[in-house]
Formats: sequence, structure tokens, C-alpha cells
Amino acid sequence: MADFDVGKHGVGPVSVLNVKGYLDAHTAPELENVFNNLIENKQYKVVVNFNDLQYISSAGLGVFMAYVETMRENNGDIKFCNLKDDVYNIFDLLGFPLLYEFYKDEKEAINKFNQADKD
Amino acid sequence: MDINYYEQSIFIFISSGHSILKITNLKKMDGGKLENAIFISVLLFIYKIIFPLNETITYLLINEILIFLSLFAWLRYVSQFVNPKLSRPLSLVINSGILNALIFFIISVTSWLFSESGNSVTNSNIVYVLFSTLIVFILIGALTYIFSVYKNLCFHRQKKNPKFYFNTMVVLFIIVALRASVISLKETESNLYYLDFSNFLFVVLYTTTITFIFMNSLRVAWIAFLNKKQKISLLIISIVLSILSWINFSLIYSSDFEIIRNFSPALEQIFSLTMIYGGIYFTVIFFITLFHLPTAEVIDRKSEELTSVKDLSKLMSQVFDFDELSETITNTTIKVSNSDAAWIIINKGNDIDLHAIEGIGIVDANKISKFLISSNMLSNTEVVVNNLTNINKKYTLPNSVKNIVSATLTVHNKNKGFLFAARKTNRIYEEEDSKPVGTFADFAAVALENAKLLEESLEKERLEKELDLAREVQYKILPQKNPDCKNLEIASLFIPAFEVGGDYYDFFEIDENRLAVIIADVSGKGIEAAFIMAHVKGIFSSLSKQYLNSKELLVAANSILKNNLSKKSFVTAIYGIFDFEKCTFNFSRGGHSPLIYYSKNKVNRLIPTVIGLGLDYSNKFENTLKELEIKLNNNDIIVLFTDGINESTNEDMQEFGYNRLEEVIKNNAHLSVDEISNEIMKNVTTFVKNSSQHDDITLVLLKWKSHKNLKGEN
Repeated sequence: MADFDVGKHGVGPVSVLNVKGYLDAHTAPELENVFNNLIENKQYKVVVNFNDLQYISSAGLGVFMAYVETMRENNGDIKFCNLKDDVYNIFDLLGFPLLYEFYKDEKEAINKFNQADKD
Repeated sequence: MDINYYEQSIFIFISSGHSILKITNLKKMDGGKLENAIFISVLLFIYKIIFPLNETITYLLINEILIFLSLFAWLRYVSQFVNPKLSRPLSLVINSGILNALIFFIISVTSWLFSESGNSVTNSNIVYVLFSTLIVFILIGALTYIFSVYKNLCFHRQKKNPKFYFNTMVVLFIIVALRASVISLKETESNLYYLDFSNFLFVVLYTTTITFIFMNSLRVAWIAFLNKKQKISLLIISIVLSILSWINFSLIYSSDFEIIRNFSPALEQIFSLTMIYGGIYFTVIFFITLFHLPTAEVIDRKSEELTSVKDLSKLMSQVFDFDELSETITNTTIKVSNSDAAWIIINKGNDIDLHAIEGIGIVDANKISKFLISSNMLSNTEVVVNNLTNINKKYTLPNSVKNIVSATLTVHNKNKGFLFAARKTNRIYEEEDSKPVGTFADFAAVALENAKLLEESLEKERLEKELDLAREVQYKILPQKNPDCKNLEIASLFIPAFEVGGDYYDFFEIDENRLAVIIADVSGKGIEAAFIMAHVKGIFSSLSKQYLNSKELLVAANSILKNNLSKKSFVTAIYGIFDFEKCTFNFSRGGHSPLIYYSKNKVNRLIPTVIGLGLDYSNKFENTLKELEIKLNNNDIIVLFTDGINESTNEDMQEFGYNRLEEVIKNNAHLSVDEISNEIMKNVTTFVKNSSQHDDITLVLLKWKSHKNLKGEN
């Protein structure tokens, strides 16, 4: 079985999730737990760094869909960064870029949150 | 005349013995033990009738030998009934007691009868001989049984074999008996002829015999294995039996009772010695039991602990239900540790679950457990004893529990919970009471682990069933055969993965000139995906009749799906309509893999922008959705597929990808659709080699045939 892991660290008010390995129907609950924790701790500003992600399945995508609404309702968001081309293509096919913000690197994504706060 | 009488008698005796031998030889049951005994007894009986008086040494010796033989034969026979009862020594003791009482009764009654009638009845009277023989046989029966019981008890649970002492004692019995028999001839006048203490040799012999009786009486190891209750009954029974034996001894000893003495002086000796043995044996038993009594409770508890451990291990291999087992565990814990209450807690995150609460209310048990946890009064490695008497009030704990033992439930070196045993009295837990709690905690831990494993295997079984069901749903939803179309050659292929993936394709014949085709992939896997698939089929088949434009249809489908799907589910789809009159293919893509269009030696990857169905909650879907319309030429090919194809991965983790797929299509475009589909699969299989298929693979190929249309018009 391919492995999956989520690393979490905070940058100011923004939580950065580093997803690693294979995100599919079997490993998705792990990511769900992380999101549940974030919501419990009222951390609604999330940046997901895909730098170390090898594969994402439809069930993996479903996790972001399940939580994005809650984040947005609480003045937060889920933003994506550092996607490899093949992973981005999967998002792209589904039209995610129309619904989510994608960034080249983590800093950019975090800055976007901070900017929004200033405005 | 005298000689004649004896000759006749001997002849009758021998011939009758012969005939009995013949009869008994015919039936050989249970090794002939009973037959032997009966044979010798009958022989003895006949001998007794012929020679009622022991007048000469020869007659007497034959008489005594027959007596010994019959005693031996009966002993052998009786012993097979006594032996199996050894597991319940108390009942053997009681049996021998009843027989002792019977002996007492017979001796009392007969001596009373004969003292009434005085000496008028002569010893040679035939009635007297018959009666006395009968009495003697009953007494022999009782005697052999009693003796057999003593012998078996003496050997029971003995670590060293006491054979030597016992056999020596038996030999001494025989010597004493024979001596008495010889002397009886000389001193018939004296009532006490057999106890001639003036003879030094006799005194030595007799005291040695008594000493051996005493030594054999000390073999009472079996007493230790009785429980307290049995020991108390044995105490009472042994004192009664001891007294009874001494009374019987003195009755036989007394001058009033002459039946046995007249029958055989040796038998009388054996009888009185056995009674002495009984008297000494039960006196010894009485005192030893008395000394054992104070420790009886401890031994009882130890043996109870042992049996409950045994019972539990047996139960563990048969019962897997944790609740059922834990109840047995707390119940035995209470018994073995002398507690009033016991319960089990299982850690559940930051909280605890209480199980099998016995002898205490759930609220109290909960309160105490939580207090002990929060105040760090538990250990993950050893059994801990706590006295709550002084802190009950301070922490408003339930007053009832004064002392408490806790033991950890450890599974794979991880603490999973605790077993508690509590006393409502001030009696502090000593080590022998608290130790077993640890043992039972270990049992509880194993039970917990078993239950978990069972649950997992049940869950696995459930998942497998679910999988089968999902697969069945999927097969029923997919079209059974491709439509027969005038302008289209159609090939479709569906290869399921181990786990249901949620692939779906279908054809809808809208009217004579229009055929709709759909390919879709539901997010997620398993039964949920299968049911969403069924839902999707329903939506598309009904919408296909209402909307003749692919964009409008997808917009309608999206608005239905986004309200019906769970947040994390979505559907990707391509929906297209062939128009046979206009020779067009109008399609829209809802987040699905690209559509590959082959026309005039060129492969096109068509990816009109859009969002997946059920992804968006605003109206972005409608605003961004684009439809495409293709003007179809003869032999144009449209390929629809799910990501199972392009995501097929080989051992080097490379994906098959779109380029390889397009290459295969291009190279084989001249073939029929079935052949092209075979080529595609052949290439995919060669590419992945030994890697397993993760996702369903669905492939639909459609080849436009203009000439078919022309043919149709002609």
C-alpha cells in the first residue's frame, strides 16, 4: 500500500498542510481528520502544499470539496500551491481552477491571505 | 465307619468343587473376578457344612486357607468398584462408615439372639451352622469393602508408593491370624486365647502390626485436596467412624460374640485388626483434618483461582464476545480476590468506557475510575492497591468503596484500560488477594484483543459483501448490449478493478435520427459510488428525453446532482448526441477525461473547459460550460474513456497517459472499432505488465459510417 502523510505547520494565522505520497479513497480519512482538527481549532485559513504529493484520486479531491465551504463561510479558504503538472492536470480537468485559487509557491498563497486581511 | 464317613465327605466335597469349576469356566465375565470369589465362597460353604467344627489342625488349616482365599478373591472383586470412586474420597469414607454401622448392627443383633437362646444351641446344629455361615459371609463382604477403601485411600494422592508398608502390614495380619488359629486348638477354654501377652514373641509381633497399621494410617495426603466444607464434614464423619470402629472391635473381642470365632479364628483376627486399623485411621484423620482446617480457606481460594483460570482459558477459546467474557472475568475477580465489586474500563480517546460492572453502580464506578486516573493513582505496569477511606470525603467520592485494586489491561505493550476490584469493608488488600486481579486483567486484555480481531474480520467480511453488491449494481446499470445503429460502428469495453470504481457508460436512442452517448465516473469507490452511479443513470436517462442539447442537459444534471450528492462526491461526464441527419456530434464535458477525436489521419484531444458535476455551488458551472459540435466525416472515430486507461501505471510508476493512447488509435484507425479497442487494451496490458489494476477501465469507441446512411436511404 502506498503511504500518505500530512505535515502541518502554522505561518501566522495561516495553516500550511504538506501532503505527501498517495491521496486516495483509503488515505483520504487521514486528511479529513486533519481538516476536522483545523475546524475544531477555528483555523479556517489553509494552504495545501502539494510539492510531495505523488497521486490524487477523486476521493482525495472530495476532501477539499467537503471542507472548502466551511472555510469560506468563516472568512477563510483552502488555497493550493506547488502542484506538479500531472497533479495539476487532474485538478484542471475537473475545473478546480475555476473554483479554487492555485499558486506556484507557498509564500504567494500565504501572502494572498494576509493581503485579504489588510483589505 | 469313621473312615468311610470322611472318605465320602471328601469325595462329595471334591466332586462338587469340580462341578462348580466347570460352571464358572463357562462364563468368564470381568476377568472372572466375581466367578472366582463365588467359587471359593461356595467351596468354603460346602466345606463348612461337611466339617462344621475345626477339630483337627488339618481341617482347621484347610478352613483358614479357604477363608484367606475367599477374602482375597472378594477383595479383588470389590476393589474395582472402589477405585473409580477415588475422585470423591468423602463418599468412600461414608460408604465404609455405613458398612461399619451394618457390622455393628449384625453383631449386636446376633449376639443378643444367641445370648437369649443360651447355650442350648449346640455348635454342631445345622441351623446354627447355616445361620452363622450366612452372617459370616455378610461380614466378609462388608470387611473386604472396608479394607479395600482403606487400602485405596492409603494409596490415593501419595507421592511415594506406600506399597511396602501396606503389604508388610497385610503379611503381619496373616501371621497374627494364623497364630491365633493354631493357638485356638490348644486353649479353647480361655476366651482370650488369642491375646496371650505372656508370650514375648507374640507381643513383639502384635506391636509391630499395630505400628505398621499406624504408619499406614498416616497416609492421608488426600485430605489436603478437600475444600473447607468437605473438611468439616470429614471431621464429623471421622470421629463417628473412629468410635464405631473401636466399638466393633470391642464387640468382636467380647466373649458374647462367638460366631466368627467358631467359624474361623483367623478371620476373627483379621476382623479385629481391620477394626483397629479403622479406629486408628479415623482418629489420625480426625486430628489431621483438625489441623488442616485453619488453612483450608487459603487452599480453597488457591484452588478456586486455579480452576477459574482454567475455566477462563477454556472460555476464551470458545467465546469471542467481549462483554460476555468481561462479565465472567469481573465475577471471578470478585470471588478470587474476596472483593465486593469489580469492573473494567477501556480507554476511549480522552474518555473511558465502563464494562461488566458488578457489585457497584455505574455512576460510582465511573467517578472512582476517573478520580484514580486523574490523580495518577494507577500504574501501567503493575497491580496497585489503594485505600480510599481517608480521601473519600475530600474528593466527594462514593463512601461505599474503601479499598481498591487496579490492574492494567495491556495489549501489545499499550495500556488499553484497567480492571478494578473494590472492597466496601475496611479489610485491606493483601498480596494474595490483589495478585489474582493482575492475572484476570491479563485475561481481559486478551479478550479485548480477540474481540477487536473478530470485529476486524467481520468488518472485512462485510466489506467484501458490500463489494459484491456494488459490483452487481454496476453490472446491472451498464448496457447489456450496444445499440444497432445505421451510421455508427460501436464498441464498448468495461474491465472492473478489484474495488468498484464507479465507471458508467450508456446509450440513449432519443429518436430515429438521434443517439445520445454518455460516459461518466463517480468519485469515490465501493457501494457509495455504485449507488451514485444508479442515481446518475436515472438522471441522464430521463433528461435525455427533455434536452436535445448537450450543454443544457449537463446544466440540468448538475443542478440536480449538486443538491443530491454529499459534499465530497462529484461526477465527471461527457454527454454527446449524434445527429444522423445533420451528420454532427454535439457534446459537452463535465470535468471528464478528454474526448479523443480521430479524423483525416489526425488525432485531436478535445477538452472544452468546464467544472465537474456537483462540484460547484454557485452558477459558475453554467457560465463556464462550453459545448462543441463536430461535423462528422466517414470513418471518423470518437473515443470515450475513463481515467482507468490513462492512469494505468507500470512498475516504474509511469502512467500510460494520453499520448500512448492517441498513438495506438492513430496506428490502428483503419481497423474495426472492436479491433481498435482490442489493440488499446493489448497496449495497456503490455505497458503495466505485472502491476495490478487500481481503477475500473471503460472504453467506448464510435466510428462514423456515412455510407451506412446512404445504404439506408437507398
